[in-house]
Amino acid sequence: MMAENTQTQMRKGILEYCVLLIISKGEIYASDIIAELKSAKLLVVEGTLYPLLTRLKNNGLLSYNWVESTSGPPRKYYVLTTEGTGILNQLDYTWNELSEAIQTAKNVADKQSTNPINLKK
Amino acid sequence: MKKTLNINIGNSIVHIEEDAYEILTVYLNEVKFHFAKNADNFEIVTDIENRIAEMFADIFLVNQKQVISIEDVQSVTSQMGSVKDFQSEEEEQEDVTGAHTSQVKKLYRDTDQAVIAGVCAGLAHYMDIEDRWVRLAAILTVLLGGSGVLAYIVLWVMIPKAETRSEKMAMRGEEANLKGFANSYLHPFVNQSRGVLAEAFELLGRFVNGTGKIIFKVIALLIIITAVLGLISLIIAIVTLMGMWDTDLVHNFPFSIVNDEYFGMVTLGALLTAGIPLLALLLFAVRVAFTSRPINRTFSFVLLIFWITGLGITIYHVAKIFSEFKESAEFSQSTEVKPYSTYNLIIDRTRFFSKEDSTMYNIDPGKYMGRKILTDREDTFDMPRNVSLSIVKSDNERVIMSQNYSSRGKTFEDALRNAQNIQYSFVQQDSLLTFNPALQLKRVSNWRDQEVEFVLRVPVGTVVKISKEFSRYLNAYGYWDCDHEEGSDFTEWLMTNDGIKCRHEAISGTDK
Repeated sequence: MMAENTQTQMRKGILEYCVLLIISKGEIYASDIIAELKSAKLLVVEGTLYPLLTRLKNNGLLSYNWVESTSGPPRKYYVLTTEGTGILNQLDYTWNELSEAIQTAKNVADKQSTNPINLKK
Repeated sequence: MKKTLNINIGNSIVHIEEDAYEILTVYLNEVKFHFAKNADNFEIVTDIENRIAEMFADIFLVNQKQVISIEDVQSVTSQMGSVKDFQSEEEEQEDVTGAHTSQVKKLYRDTDQAVIAGVCAGLAHYMDIEDRWVRLAAILTVLLGGSGVLAYIVLWVMIPKAETRSEKMAMRGEEANLKGFANSYLHPFVNQSRGVLAEAFELLGRFVNGTGKIIFKVIALLIIITAVLGLISLIIAIVTLMGMWDTDLVHNFPFSIVNDEYFGMVTLGALLTAGIPLLALLLFAVRVAFTSRPINRTFSFVLLIFWITGLGITIYHVAKIFSEFKESAEFSQSTEVKPYSTYNLIIDRTRFFSKEDSTMYNIDPGKYMGRKILTDREDTFDMPRNVSLSIVKSDNERVIMSQNYSSRGKTFEDALRNAQNIQYSFVQQDSLLTFNPALQLKRVSNWRDQEVEFVLRVPVGTVVKISKEFSRYLNAYGYWDCDHEEGSDFTEWLMTNDGIKCRHEAISGTDK
């Protein structure tokens, strides 16, 4: 239960970042975002994405264009705004920091397990 | 085989099976409810609907299908995720939980458990009690005056039948969400109809709904005509009453029951109390006949309030007037009648001109004062029958007429005053006893059950000849009870030791 909770929190934290990352690659349709998120095993159900996209759009990070579809209704294609790009850069920076922090922590833990005396340094 | 529906989701038309449609509706409602507090709820829900439409399009394409089935909907909704999944993934996850559990019950007819048309069973579901108690109450109302029959028919027409699964669930107060649906599939709604009777009524209902609809509409049209005529005559009656405010009509029975000062209010109350149900009946019939809603909810609510007000006014005044009947008082006086061996009892239709007569016939009273008029009416119409005479045996040789005047009033004094206001008497002219045709009041007052009871005491052996006209005023012995000569205007009676008897019978009795 404890692990599950933490996992959810972690996923939730990076979901937004990942969505921005995916969109930053170019104009993209919501179900393609979903497909990518699914292949990255970040998204369990699709329904969660729509509120997130709407929120990001309302915060000015995203905008969308209606594009006519050959089969069915017109689709929303999302793009990053300049503000979104800025935020994404900040998030990139933070992510690098975080991953370094985790890497360090892991390395420390590894070394600790092999050589506990190192910790005192 | 299954029934399918056409739905428009995300601007595309989709064929969907009925049960699948129900599940989808519930799902979308849950989603809408979940995002209801979100400022962008419309956009989010639209996005989700569009996506579902797209998934349906994929299903049609991939599986070469024409219709969406339950399994398709389930796969789509599981892909989209349930509201619970959304909750666990969102920041504001605490706000929705509690509100969703209580499902408001709706009133439907439960035809699955119907005896007649499922009204009682539906009410039982709605009130959360066992249906047998509702049925018991219904049977009681039918037995006590039969109002239940009418109520049942009205409810039958008004309450919709629970047809779809979600309606049946709403009827039972089950949560109309996916979990509830799963439940209802596990415990299906079994048709527990109670045999032939319910089936027969079901058929009848179908007949009324289908082919009988025309008959129904004809009946509705007849009701419309009747109700319109009723309303018109009611309005005419009220206007007439208002117009006759000060004339003599209001002093005739039954209007004379109502005190002058209440008259306007009582008329208004009666108009509202009687007119609004008539109007409601009319509107309802219009609705049935033309299958359109002639008035909106607010207006009918206003009508209801007016009706309740009218009823209140009426009840208040009726209670007030009733209180004037609370106490009764009577006084008697006795008059000695000159003894004769034979008496003739007749009604005198002549009477002196009264002030009311002069206003009623528009005659100058100064000119005709003191003259007699002949009433041509069989009975004056002012009051119910209120004069009676009985003839009993006198203990001595004296002939006595006791006159008993009684009335009702708010207090004993009032009642007595009302009794003293009665004017009724008889006149003796040798053996001829002449009575007034009806009691009159010395001054104009309301009808308070004023009554006159005369008792004539005569010694044994006295013959009393009662005119045909008079016998109507007699207690217990009528003109037709006693043999009389053909064409004769009176019957002859004889006072015996056992009381008064028809003379022929009394004589033939003593002969034997």
